[in-house]
Amino acid sequence: MKRIVQALLVLLLVSLMLFVMLRIVPGNPVAVLMGEHANQATIDRLTAELGLDQPIHVQFFRYLSGAVRGDFGTSYSLGKPVSELMGTAFVNTLLLSLAAALFAWITGGLCGLLAAIRKNSIPDRLFMGFSLLGISMPVFMVAMILQYVFAYWLHWVPISGTADWRSFILPAVALGWNSAGSIARLVRSALLDTLEEDYIDTARAKGLGKSGVLFRHALRNTMLPTVTMMALQLSALLSGAVITETVFSINGIGRLAVQAITARDIPLLQGTVLFSTAIVIFGNLVADFLYTVLDPRTRKEA
Amino acid sequence: MNKRIQKKGICLILVLAALLTGILLAATAGAEEAGLLRTAVTYDITTMDVAKTTEDYMIPMNVFDRLFETRMEDGTAKLVPSLCTEYKVSEDGLTYDFTLREGVVFSNGNPLTASDVQYSFERLLVLANQNTDIPLEVVGGQDVMDKKAETLSGFSVTDDTHFSVTLKAPNAGFLAELSSPAMSIVDQESMSDGFGVDPAAMIGTGPYLVTERITNDHYTLVYNDKYWGAEPSVKKLVVRVISDANTQNLMFQNGELDLIDLDKQDSAIVQSQYKTVYADRIVSVRKVGLTFLALNESNEYLKDVRVRKAIGMALDVDTMIAALYNGDATRENGIIPTGAWAHNDSLEGFAYDPEGAKSLLKEAGYEDGQISFELSMDSTATGSIQLVYQSISQLLDKVGIKATVKSYDHAAYLDLRGSGKMDAFIARWLLDYNDPANIMLTFFGSADNTLHRSLNYPDAEIIARVAAAPAIVDDSQRMAEYQALEKKIIGEDAAWIPLFEDMHLYCLGSRVASFTPQWAGFSDFYVTDVVLKD
Repeated sequence: MKRIVQALLVLLLVSLMLFVMLRIVPGNPVAVLMGEHANQATIDRLTAELGLDQPIHVQFFRYLSGAVRGDFGTSYSLGKPVSELMGTAFVNTLLLSLAAALFAWITGGLCGLLAAIRKNSIPDRLFMGFSLLGISMPVFMVAMILQYVFAYWLHWVPISGTADWRSFILPAVALGWNSAGSIARLVRSALLDTLEEDYIDTARAKGLGKSGVLFRHALRNTMLPTVTMMALQLSALLSGAVITETVFSINGIGRLAVQAITARDIPLLQGTVLFSTAIVIFGNLVADFLYTVLDPRTRKEA
Repeated sequence: MNKRIQKKGICLILVLAALLTGILLAATAGAEEAGLLRTAVTYDITTMDVAKTTEDYMIPMNVFDRLFETRMEDGTAKLVPSLCTEYKVSEDGLTYDFTLREGVVFSNGNPLTASDVQYSFERLLVLANQNTDIPLEVVGGQDVMDKKAETLSGFSVTDDTHFSVTLKAPNAGFLAELSSPAMSIVDQESMSDGFGVDPAAMIGTGPYLVTERITNDHYTLVYNDKYWGAEPSVKKLVVRVISDANTQNLMFQNGELDLIDLDKQDSAIVQSQYKTVYADRIVSVRKVGLTFLALNESNEYLKDVRVRKAIGMALDVDTMIAALYNGDATRENGIIPTGAWAHNDSLEGFAYDPEGAKSLLKEAGYEDGQISFELSMDSTATGSIQLVYQSISQLLDKVGIKATVKSYDHAAYLDLRGSGKMDAFIARWLLDYNDPANIMLTFFGSADNTLHRSLNYPDAEIIARVAAAPAIVDDSQRMAEYQALEKKIIGEDAAWIPLFEDMHLYCLGSRVASFTPQWAGFSDFYVTDVVLKD
């Protein structure tokens, strides 16, 4: 309960900070919305119509009262309710993030596992090289390379969009490779550490086979930090797919946020930032919960 | 055991990889449907309603018609009849009698009547959002906008196909204004709250219907079989929203786009790739617009006409555009751009003369490099315009003027410019309709206008003449007046330094036989101008 109250306070603080920041920076969003050809009288008239000439506290409470009812206003740049736009975008972001997370978890987990089992072998070096590449290459570069090779050159998948499930393959790999690299390295090092523990020797001494030792004892203890990382990564993927969504033209939350910033679309920006904040907070709550489920010691301490 | 586990893992990876590859290889692109045209835009449209936008004209231009259209013929924009077949202007230039084309119906089957035209004019005023300027010229326009009247008193419907419009003051550019997408004719009977948002509500007389619009993804237009004009080659248009220019580029090369707007591409890619690999597929049209260096006369240095003229003489515009635009731009010397009515070909611009510029600065008392001001740049400026900024800064530096380029976020840029306090900046204006009043009034039509455009042009007499010019009924007199004003404002006062007009380039995919881009004041185009291969 305490955690939930804390989460709500963080959300309130973020919305207040964002609201104030967006209004103290120079620039009238209506002037951006109206475009080059609008005259000053039109800009002034619409500024008043949108209530942007009212005192900031009046605007904030109006926004807050709408937000608690799920009404984030209407996007200036897309002309539709923010909640409707975010609803559609969230589905795409969720699909992309889940696909990226699955790629990261499966690939990263398997690479880490095999690298640990064959420590210092050629497969170990190959898998760790793969993970290092994922961690060190910027997402936009990975995206562009994948796009060029698999979509433009080989014609295997579409270059962009969300027309069918194949469209999500490249974005998922581009977005998930970095996480896969982190997971692979974490699984490898955690597994190697665990295999050095005394209780592993005890298990071996009791005559348990290598696979039994690995899956029943070593891997289970390795899961603790890995699962926590996976949960945190999923929330990061959900809130941080900005570049991937832009390069692959996926109508997701990240792309909406970019559009909102460019167009100084205050309602849309507030909606997307608040949403991303909520996702990160939720991810942290889930990670905490999983930690207590997987590690009985933390339950006792709690 | 270790090896067994490793083998299992490797097998699992191989199976997954094989499965994925199989799926991918199985996915081959099918043949494109006949009559389909695919193109892309960088940003999605805000609205499909012309009453609420001055920029998103693709749907208004293709789903609706206007009384007249502006088309390019031999490089010049010409006014052609559309829904109006005949018109007559009274001798005092105040009243226009129009005859509508017979037999035109909206896409829902409703016949087009003069009442629909009246409703379309009044709707702009009732909504009081964008594009109110033109209907405000009609007698009673202000009353409708102020909710003091429900109908335009200056609009009189005689019968279904005849009506007359009376203006508050003569405006020789009125017919040209009626060709602006802003003056699209809508169906009064089917008008609903969903207009502008719901594709089904977009009922027009134009060649296409909107069948689908997915925000930030794509929209689709299909041929309207009730269209009164010739059947177009393109039966279906899909416009994808692809914000990344490089992705658009790859899609075009991959055959996923049939038409690409090269304005959105990096100029280096246009030169190195499109101008070489696709040279025979590039089509271009004048933008009928002007790029210029705006100078604020309220600045302590720029208020001196000698300093402004020296700036004009310090800029080697010809070399600049040759280097940056590689033949896709022409030098401009005034206010009215090439291709627009009343453009003056014989106008002489500022000759490149750095020594002369230094002499002028010396005469003005600034021989020791005291002059410094900010050259403000919009952060959304294209790569080419950013290079123009750098070139200008360097060229001015050579004559002892320190012009520091500073980039602003788009909203902050508009705010500073609107406050009238921006020192100097590069601006571009594309004509909304083919009449010099469009550009003249915007920048020099009132003291307020010159303030909000950060020009602060101080000559009240000239401002009054600019405001009065549209009322000159005689075309030759009006042209002479605009050209005289242009000579005074630019030639004598150097209120801004004209730079160039660049071309709008498009590249055609292998499925497109031809495309004749027409009025290019807008970035949007008439889909009927595209002809696909059989």
